[in-house]
Amino acid sequence: MSTTAEPGVAEPAATGVHERFTALAERQIELGEVRGAAAADPVNLPMIRHWTAAMGDANPVYTDAAFAGASVHGEIVAPPAMAQVWTMPGLGGGKGGTSPVDELMVALDEDGFTGVVATNCEQTYHRYARLGERLVPATRMTGLAGPKTTALGVGYFVTWLVTWYSEDEPVAEMMFRVLKFRPREEKAAPEERTRYPLRPAVNRDTAFFWEGVQEGELRIQKCGDCGELRHPPGPVCPSCRSANRVYAVASGLGEVYSFVVHHNPPVPGIETPFVVAVIALPEGIRVVGNVVECSPEKVGIGMPVRVEYREMDDELTLPMWVPRES
Amino acid sequence: MRTLTEDDIECGTVLPPLHIELTPTTVISTALATMDFTPVHHDTERAQAQSSKDIFLNILTTMGLVERYVTDWAGPEALIRGINVRLGVPAYAGDTLTLSGTVISREDGEVTVQVRGAVSLGDHATGTVRFCLPC
Amino acid sequence: MHSLSGHTAVAGIGATEFSKASGRTELQLAAEAVFAALDDAGLAPSEVDGLVTYTQDGNQEIAVAREVGIGDLSFFSRVDYGGGAACGTVLHAAMAVATGAASTVVCYRAFNERSGRRFGQPDARLGGEPSSHGMEMSWHVPFGLMTPAAWVAMFARRYMHAYGATSEDFGRVAVAMRRHAAVNPAAWFYQRPITLEEHQASKWIVEPLHLLDCCQESDGAVALVVTSAERARDLRRSPAVITAAAQGSGAGQMMMTSFYRDDMSGLQEMGVVARGLWEMSGMSPRDIQAAILYDHFTPFVLSQLEELGFCGRGEARDFMAGGGIEIDGHLPVNPHGGQLGEAYIHGMNGIAEAVRQIRGTSVNQVEGTQNVLVTAGTGVPTSGLILSRE
Repeated sequence: MSTTAEPGVAEPAATGVHERFTALAERQIELGEVRGAAAADPVNLPMIRHWTAAMGDANPVYTDAAFAGASVHGEIVAPPAMAQVWTMPGLGGGKGGTSPVDELMVALDEDGFTGVVATNCEQTYHRYARLGERLVPATRMTGLAGPKTTALGVGYFVTWLVTWYSEDEPVAEMMFRVLKFRPREEKAAPEERTRYPLRPAVNRDTAFFWEGVQEGELRIQKCGDCGELRHPPGPVCPSCRSANRVYAVASGLGEVYSFVVHHNPPVPGIETPFVVAVIALPEGIRVVGNVVECSPEKVGIGMPVRVEYREMDDELTLPMWVPRES
Repeated sequence: MRTLTEDDIECGTVLPPLHIELTPTTVISTALATMDFTPVHHDTERAQAQSSKDIFLNILTTMGLVERYVTDWAGPEALIRGINVRLGVPAYAGDTLTLSGTVISREDGEVTVQVRGAVSLGDHATGTVRFCLPC
Repeated sequence: MHSLSGHTAVAGIGATEFSKASGRTELQLAAEAVFAALDDAGLAPSEVDGLVTYTQDGNQEIAVAREVGIGDLSFFSRVDYGGGAACGTVLHAAMAVATGAASTVVCYRAFNERSGRRFGQPDARLGGEPSSHGMEMSWHVPFGLMTPAAWVAMFARRYMHAYGATSEDFGRVAVAMRRHAAVNPAAWFYQRPITLEEHQASKWIVEPLHLLDCCQESDGAVALVVTSAERARDLRRSPAVITAAAQGSGAGQMMMTSFYRDDMSGLQEMGVVARGLWEMSGMSPRDIQAAILYDHFTPFVLSQLEELGFCGRGEARDFMAGGGIEIDGHLPVNPHGGQLGEAYIHGMNGIAEAVRQIRGTSVNQVEGTQNVLVTAGTGVPTSGLILSRE
């Protein structure tokens, strides 16, 4: 499994539990390297061929005896990244035996750290494995770090090292790190943004505006017949009675025509003080919106602004106005 | 099929990008070819039951694809010395994995390529691949 | 077609106490105010055949009629747009009486605006409904522009920009109203005048408005009895004749948010009312001895002086200087203390004060009051009256 997991500020776990994990980890580290069960099959061409086909890897040193024979290898070799493949338990699990990591993982599971994501995989290849070699893995527990607060929840990083031997010669090594985490409450994941409480009513007369904002366009209603621009929009052109409506996309530039700084009472969904302004657009209409990215004292009538779009939550985007050079 | 020589490689050399369509066949065949039978890599229902959008690539495959990406470019006789990968967002079936890379060092005959494997959700894997050229 | 002017009169006024927590239902407040107004006029409930209130009032005409013991109703009506309805209720009542649709109409407004639903509090639902009003609000509420103070502040900023008016100019309105209220025992701010320094030091509500630029919030009720001028002469009190009554809404009008039309430095709808009042009465500002100007927020008192023609555009600050709108100034405004000082009964208490000024019974009586002009809510479609002594 792979998902982003950024380590952050540590949160204290229940002391007893943490000490138990630490003690267990220390004991496992002291065990040192523990040999596991040898690969079920020796390094072999059929499995290499399956692997290279699935990966789309056309390197002939893995499958073409003639090419491989004339290469630096002098014979067919296994792709280095297959090192771990040879000793995978396969379907049904095989007789893998235990590794020093297992006991700690079980203990973490039992205390609610049931989530797991791999965070790092670092492989070093001493040499390429040759057909017929039967690899044996050996695992060494190397570290336990935590508890740490991550995007997924509070958890422990567990690190171990696997070495694959051919006879007594190390062929490849892998450092592997996972985050064992306590999943957040179900309702929090997938995390949904708080719903912004101040919502417009939208109907068929105004939907084009809000859809435009969602797409990063400031749309102004335009009469499809006489071409008059109008905001706020309405169903019928007051100049020519036409109900044929289109829209123009505004340049997104404007200047502050009037503004207020709201202090009291508190407004749901917005931190006070905040600025609301009537913005005059060069297109000849006015719109109302917040002026942001500018301290309230700096806002003034005539100040040049340009539109930006802010996602207030998963559904609502609002146009906002930021200062610009005139 | 030619393997690059020292003259072909210098710091800053950019590898051509590789786009891999992650069809269900890709995800499943690579999982099985790496002997990984965990259901989330081949059983959509089971994957979704664990809050995943779909089946997704297993780590052994990520390592394999990163290796292939570099040897596709460097040539068949480049000797891979190591692959370090930091794992990010899942690479789901239906997405496209785009691999890109840049040579960041060349010391004592060992070349290090910085590699990035991106999907629509962001970085699936970032890290380095070290290799030597045959003498 | 003959004019409405002079045919009808306000014959009775009544009110509850003005408080912050009435401790009773809005219907009870309405009933008490109606009883008081009928008693003031010397009429029995059975003589009432018409009722008018605000669209926003929580008490239906039939509920008030049941409570008070009014029998058959031949006329009932409601006027929209918040405090803009105040004088409009009297216009509707006068029209009903003048046309014979009813003979005696009671206008009422009753609410627990402070202890119940407070108009000054943000209500996210304002922008939520797909009515034309909800759609109008939807251009403002998402940006947090959702309180009356904020809507008025948007105009006030533009007014200051256009005419060089300052926060102190607005403050002088508040100081005058609190001076008047300080000697009115019915006022919430009885014996509590303020200084301009206190106004300036009060906290920001929505810049450029301080707390003391905003009227208070109140529980209470006011009722008025409207009948023909002829009949009023035979009743207990001397009549306050309805010389003019008008409603007004301007082109491109919105409910407090008419930001999209003119230069935002005036009150177009009040200009419509002013033309209506002067035309119907045949009068000019010189004929008015006292004015009741709607004062939910101070800046619009300045705009009203200009729209009504008491002074020129942008000249209100000079008109008010040196106590110009105080009881001893050249145009006493809101001798009862207005909504800033007496109570916020959506403008209805101001009409009652105008009647007292005509009768000569106000605690802050203006000498020689012949005609009093009254206005209703500003920033909204509004209304106005000129009441006269016979």
